[in-house]
Amino acid sequence: MGPLVDYLPDSDRGKTALKLNDESTIADMLQKLQIKRKVVVAVNGDEEKGLDHVLIDGDEVLVFSIISGG
Amino acid sequence: MPYGYTGKVLHVNLTKGELEIEEPDEKFYRTYMGGSAMGLHYVLKETPAGVDPFSPDNVLALCTGVLTGTPVSGQSRLTSVAKSPLTGCIGDAQGGGYFPAEMKFSGFDAVIIKGKSPKPVYLWMHHGEAELRDAGHLWGLTTGDAEDKLKEELDDKRIEVLQIGPAGENLVRFSALISMSNRANGRTGMGAVMGSKNLKAVVVRGKMKPAVSNPEKFKEIQKLAKVNLEPTGMDGFGKYGTPGVTTPQHKAGGLPTYNFNSGNFDKHEEIDGLKLYNEHLRGHEKDDQNRFGRDTCFSCSIKCKRVAQIDEGPFKTDAKYGGPEYETLATFGSYCGISDMDAIIHANALCNMYGMDTISCGATIAWAMECWEEGKITAEDTGGIELQYGNAEAMAKITEMIANREGFGEILAEGSKKAAEIIGRGTEDYLITSKGQEAPAHMPQVKRSLSVIYAANPFGADHESSEHDPGYKAYPERMKEIGLTNPQEKLALNKEMMRFAMITQHLSSAVDSLSVCAFVFGASFQLYSPEELVKTVNAVMGWDVDMKEILEVGERRLNMLRAFNSREGVGRESDTLPKKMFKRPLEGGRSDGYVLDEGEWEVALEDYYRLCDWDVETGHPSLRKMESLGLGWVVAENEALSHAIT
Repeated sequence: MGPLVDYLPDSDRGKTALKLNDESTIADMLQKLQIKRKVVVAVNGDEEKGLDHVLIDGDEVLVFSIISGG
Repeated sequence: MPYGYTGKVLHVNLTKGELEIEEPDEKFYRTYMGGSAMGLHYVLKETPAGVDPFSPDNVLALCTGVLTGTPVSGQSRLTSVAKSPLTGCIGDAQGGGYFPAEMKFSGFDAVIIKGKSPKPVYLWMHHGEAELRDAGHLWGLTTGDAEDKLKEELDDKRIEVLQIGPAGENLVRFSALISMSNRANGRTGMGAVMGSKNLKAVVVRGKMKPAVSNPEKFKEIQKLAKVNLEPTGMDGFGKYGTPGVTTPQHKAGGLPTYNFNSGNFDKHEEIDGLKLYNEHLRGHEKDDQNRFGRDTCFSCSIKCKRVAQIDEGPFKTDAKYGGPEYETLATFGSYCGISDMDAIIHANALCNMYGMDTISCGATIAWAMECWEEGKITAEDTGGIELQYGNAEAMAKITEMIANREGFGEILAEGSKKAAEIIGRGTEDYLITSKGQEAPAHMPQVKRSLSVIYAANPFGADHESSEHDPGYKAYPERMKEIGLTNPQEKLALNKEMMRFAMITQHLSSAVDSLSVCAFVFGASFQLYSPEELVKTVNAVMGWDVDMKEILEVGERRLNMLRAFNSREGVGRESDTLPKKMFKRPLEGGRSDGYVLDEGEWEVALEDYYRLCDWDVETGHPSLRKMESLGLGWVVAENEALSHAIT
């Protein structure tokens, strides 16, 4: 979301469905999207999951940069 | 010739029409480093206790920092300091663009303004010289028109102008200082202070570029900007600007909506950075926004500023007035339940034309809208304008009425807190102010450390005074550089989060004293890390400062702000949050049900005071703390402080 939308291949306003291998982690997903920067990832609304968290089919994953200001 | 700074501070007495140049020594620059701390030095020395913000005795300090004008990203910033007419406390506002660097090139680091001119004037500073000139023909003009006229009469298109608009002339309490017709020293009503002095503008031009002590090390810092750009995400930030955070804020439940009653705005995609970039920035028709729809500050590679243009219709808008930041999209948008991007772009331009803070203006209108919805304000008050949430036409109309102090705008021009006092009828229950300043678009219910910073910050609720909670966990390497190694769970409001709040507040205070950009230098997402800030200061100045010394500059500035308020009799009793944050759970979305616990919050506030070495009963800094920061003179020179600071 936000400034990261350009990383999604077939993005509809920053949203896309991704096919990942079984047992893929958050880190695998970020690698697939070639996101190398610092981001916060929320899985089904939970921001406390680590990079090694294994994703399952149907998870909603939000990826965003933290910019505190404006 | 010194490095970084010019060594010249211009003192202007508008009552007498006198100008004097002071040449402080290097120790002065190393102690304060510029910006906010430097301005506070003069405001504390030269204003009498209890001064009326609109009195000629109020001092307005306009200060650059030691890095301003050197060719590195994020350095062209200027800080304005004076007693605030909005809060009655210290006022402090930062702004960027090309004016700050050009002021340095004109041969001056700072201007200290006191008195009141008998007639409108402007200050013309150029090539090491300064003079006051008649501004009778500029009074009443919008910022764009005044800037055009000044360029014509000085026959120089490269002058830079920091000015007030009609709102500042009309003493609207949240009026701003505007440069380039689209950059604002927005908060705390510094425009009204300048207006009360009959000073329309400060105009600068020069070629006196500051010297750099170590060009090789400085070049390394410049090169680092390219290296850091992608890993920090600053490339995307440049492209979509601060509006890029609108949708993430909504998803986290932290996009203030309906006057802070919800963190969830269903129509967030109508007002987010993507929509603004793709459909509203100048050049979007030919997919050429990067060329025509983005702007920057002197020597900054990020280019985060927006340029929007509306060619026709009720919200027709000239591109010279820029485009909205995230804060503006929220205050005029989600705060007011408005999803009409054209209306928000137009309201932003009105604020820049008339010279007003978009945060306080939009939030004041949102407060009036909630009062309308609750039946506390009626058509009888508004002169027939219907102020229900979502009414974009009414929002734009009221914005103009505030600037001109016309009709109901006369009351709203006082800011929401004073307006609630005038209207009564329980309207104060809907305020979202701390110390009388309207809350910016980050929610303390969601980012809990902000709840204490909003309340305790000496110039009122502010989002740029500390890092926000998620940054602690997301940027461990950078946090470690300032001694923060123990990130807490989301929503924690404990001692460690108060340490996080205070230490990052010290860093932010140093950033505001060096007068550099909070998107370029900081402890989390910024282009440069805290240690890289230290290296930049040393490369430019030839000093040997370390992180500890930089943080101490910030702590010094924070205690100067606090001591000013102590002198005005303002202490712990004013460190409060809006009632609704404790009483009304947020509705909808990710933050549904979130509310602050008053008992837990009071404990956190006291933990914060203890960490700051401020008196828990009174909230005043201790004499020990003041003396350890070299601020014993503040107490010694101000009789009113002898009882408050012990």
